[in-house]
Order: sequence, then C-alpha cells, then structure tokens
Amino acid sequence: MADLTADLGFIKLKNPVIPASGTFGYGGEFLQFFDLDLLGAFVMKGVYTDERGGNEPPRIWETPSGLLNSIGLAGPGAEGLKKIIKDVASKTSTPIIVNVCGGTDEEYLEVARVLDVMKEVAMLELNISCPNVRAGGSCPAQNSSDTKRVVKLVKENTKKPLIVKLSPNVSNISSIACSAEEAGADAISVVNTFLGLALDIEKRKPVFKNFFAGLSGPAIKPLALKIVWEVANAVSIPVIGIGGIMTGRDVLEFILAGASAVQTGTVNIVEPTGSVRIINETRELMDKLKINKLEEIRGCLEI
Amino acid sequence: MKEEECRVAANTNIQGRYYLMKIESEYISEKSDPGNFVMIAVSGSNDPLLKRPFGIFKIDSPYFYIYYEVVGRGSKLMASKKEGDRVMVVGPLGNAFPKYENENMLFVGGGRGIAPLYFAIEKYSGSNNISLIYGGRSKDDLLFTEELKQFPLNEAAFYTDDGSGFKKGLVTTDIKEIIERNGINVTFSCGPDKMFESLNEEIGSLGIRNFVSLEAFMGCGFGICYSCVVKGSDGKYKKVCSDGPVFRMEEIKWQT
Repeated sequence: MADLTADLGFIKLKNPVIPASGTFGYGGEFLQFFDLDLLGAFVMKGVYTDERGGNEPPRIWETPSGLLNSIGLAGPGAEGLKKIIKDVASKTSTPIIVNVCGGTDEEYLEVARVLDVMKEVAMLELNISCPNVRAGGSCPAQNSSDTKRVVKLVKENTKKPLIVKLSPNVSNISSIACSAEEAGADAISVVNTFLGLALDIEKRKPVFKNFFAGLSGPAIKPLALKIVWEVANAVSIPVIGIGGIMTGRDVLEFILAGASAVQTGTVNIVEPTGSVRIINETRELMDKLKINKLEEIRGCLEI
Repeated sequence: MKEEECRVAANTNIQGRYYLMKIESEYISEKSDPGNFVMIAVSGSNDPLLKRPFGIFKIDSPYFYIYYEVVGRGSKLMASKKEGDRVMVVGPLGNAFPKYENENMLFVGGGRGIAPLYFAIEKYSGSNNISLIYGGRSKDDLLFTEELKQFPLNEAAFYTDDGSGFKKGLVTTDIKEIIERNGINVTFSCGPDKMFESLNEEIGSLGIRNFVSLEAFMGCGFGICYSCVVKGSDGKYKKVCSDGPVFRMEEIKWQT
C-alpha cells in the first residue's frame, strides 16, 4: 500500500491532506463526522488579538463550481482561542496549525506571541493574504517589501515553524514567495482566494458590502495549480498547494506540480467528510498508478 | 449528525411549485426533533456546489419527509429527483424547538414555513393544547390544511393574502384574540422574515415565550463557514445553522 507521508522538512505528516483555514472551524466541529487523527494536519480559522464579529451579510455567493466569500475573519481573538485549542488538542494527536491574522505588524506579532507558548500548536500559518478585511482587498502579500517585513518580524519572534499564506491577486507571485523565503518562512501555502465581484443587476449594486470577495472551489483549481507550479520552481522551501481540491486525483496533480502537501478548503464546507474521502482516494490512486511515495512524483512533471 | 448517502423513496409534486420528498434514513428519522433540518446535495456534482438546507416536515421511521417550494436552481434540481435516486444528506442539523408539556401553545406558519411546525404538531399535540395560525399568499400556497385539521387542535385559523379559499388576512390579523381566547403562553413560528417582523410587533411584548425558526441561505449547515449569520439583539452575529435555526424572538435584532 502506498506511503502517504508528506515531508515538510521541519515536520513529517502522515498524509498530505490539511483542511484549510476558514473551512474547518476550529477542528472540533468535525469530531462528530470523523476522527481528526485521520488528517495530515489541520489549520484553525484565522485569529486576531481581539474578538471579531465578521462582515455584514451577505457573506457567501455561489458561482459555477465556485464560492465567493466575504466572511471577514469572525472569531474569538487569540486569548479566547487558547481554550479552544487545548480542548481540541486533547481529542487528537494530529498537528494543529493556527492561522495568524493582523491589521498591523504589531497585531501579527501579538497573536504569534500568544500562540508561540502553546505546546498544542505545531505550526503557525501567517495570513498576509485575506482579501476580506481591508478596503479593496488589499493585504501585505500584495508586495514584496510588506511581505518581507511582516514575515521577518513574526519569524524572529516565534519558535514555531512558520508557513506563509500568499495571495494570488498579484502580478508576480514568485518574487513575493522568494521574499517570504528570504525573510525566514519555513513553507509557503498558495493560494488564498481570488478576488471576485458579484453583482445584483436588479439593484445595480455589488452583492457584497465589502465589494470584492474571495473565490474558492473547483472553479479556481487550474489557476491555483499554475501558481503552485510557479512558486515551487522559485523557492527551495516546501510549498503547500491550495485551490479547489475535491478529489485524490487533484491532490496528486498538486504534488506533481511541486507541492509537498495540500490544503483542502471549500470541500470541507460542502462535504464534511470530504477530506477523509480525498485521503482514501489519494491512496487508491497511488496504488493504481504504482506510486509508492509522494516524493516519487513531487515536481516530476515531464515536460 | 452524520453525512450519508440516502435513497429517495418518493418525490411528489403536490401542487404548483410545492413538492414533498420522502427520504430513507434510519439515523435521521430517529435522531430528529421538530426544528432540525438537513443539508442535501442537489446536484451530485460540483455545480451547484453547495448543499441546500431543508427543514424536516414529518417522520415515519425509517423515512423522513421534506416539504419544499421550487424557488431557485437548487430546489429545481431537487424537484427533478426520482424514486430510487441517491442523495448525499447531512443531518440532523441545528437546534430544535424546546419540549413542553401541558402548555397552551400557538404555532404560526407562513407558507412553506409550515414544515417544522407540522412535525411539531405531530409530535407535541398529544401532550399540549395547540392552536394553529397558518397563512399564505393564496390558497395554492396553503397546503396540508386538511391534514392539519386531523390533529387535536384547540383552534385552527387559516388566512390568504388575496382571500382565496380562506379568510383574507395575515397571520397577525386575529393573533391577539387567538392568544387571549386560548390562554397561550408559548408560540412557535416559522415563515418569511417579513412575517417575523410583524409577529414581533404584535406579540413580542406580550410577556409570553416566543420561539422563531429562521430560514437562511447556508454554506455548510453545521457552523464552520460563518456565512448564514443574523444580527442578535446583543449586537453580535448568530449563526442560523448552529446557534439556531430556533431562537427566542427577543434574541434577534428585528428591522422594525
């Protein structure tokens, strides 16, 4: 039977499937559906220092094979999250990744410091790419200098491995990924959602109060796959591929494009047991294609 | 709750845009209480992507029933399901109406909002004195009135906006008299937002216990996507799917 181990260098995961931030709650919500130990790891919903209510509804809009969201990172704040983390960690041995948000450099630092002392947290994922919290969808991941500054600041103040989650809404993602790598990132996760616009023709208004929203789901898979390929060829740290993964075949495509692991997103919303199905499908497809280990195909695209 | 593939045992067009789907699931039919809902994959493909929420209308183990109106793409696909088709279902979801005994209760249903109330009447009419107010746009939108009359109800009042088939009026038209006449101290209601707004104005300050079951466009149905929120009277957002769908009327910040 195929070995699904995903080696990120600083940690070995039992399989490459990691439910993504914002699509998996705080993990505990899924215990009623399956054993979290089945997952490679999981990412908790993004957190700021303080409690946040999130954006004014509507917050989601369905598109062909996709989903636009403008949730706005609702959450309990870093201190409030600590209890939730401890509770979930007592029910699983799967590595917990927490998605770190910030409105300012200081806030990123503060959240990272709160989480840094928690033994239950295996890794941090620095969210410098959420499109739904600042005007016009702006974020630090939009340019190299902001990316470098924020990553360096957080990396210097945490002992945890730091994954940096980047935005696809840029002209040259490879250069931004290189900036994150230079600043000390241990891994890159790509991509966050693509900025999109939903319109209401009757009211002649945008659907979302925040105007733009983030597109996810199978609709973005080819776009994400291209970015993973580009970034994996630009950096030497591990890349975690994200974007519309719905099947085991999708997982192997991202690995082939150069990803060391993947994050599943929208599938967790539409199919609560989807990530487990995807793990099983990945194993079955590897067996069928006679792939013993992910390393055998990672980045080995024949061109 | 769990996610399972279920067999569609029947899918009947009752009248106009209204359908009744009978789905086989021992788990859901045994675990569900009035107010609970299920999420159903209407397409079996990536488009449309999201499952759709449907309130549970009736249980006849191992079957449960969904009463739905075709209003958009999702419900249109639901209507195309045939006996023997298989659908992915997540449920039962959400909280339920609270359980009462020996209370004088009033159930208020607007249109397809009768669904969870039908289940509640079936389950609770033996142990409580229940009265019913049920309204819709026209007689074609007011289904199951004969079936509802079969239950031991203290009083049943039916209304249509246009006066077709039943008394012309809204669910609020005679509500205060009905509450007084039957000594009502608990109400359960389900219907469109506009109905809740007028109910809140009419009965929100009578000092009785009012429970509403809200409808919302949902992403996940079990509290992880944070998309189906409504503003609470405390200024905080509440998730319709997992904090509700049943709320005390005063927990919600109404527009009026």
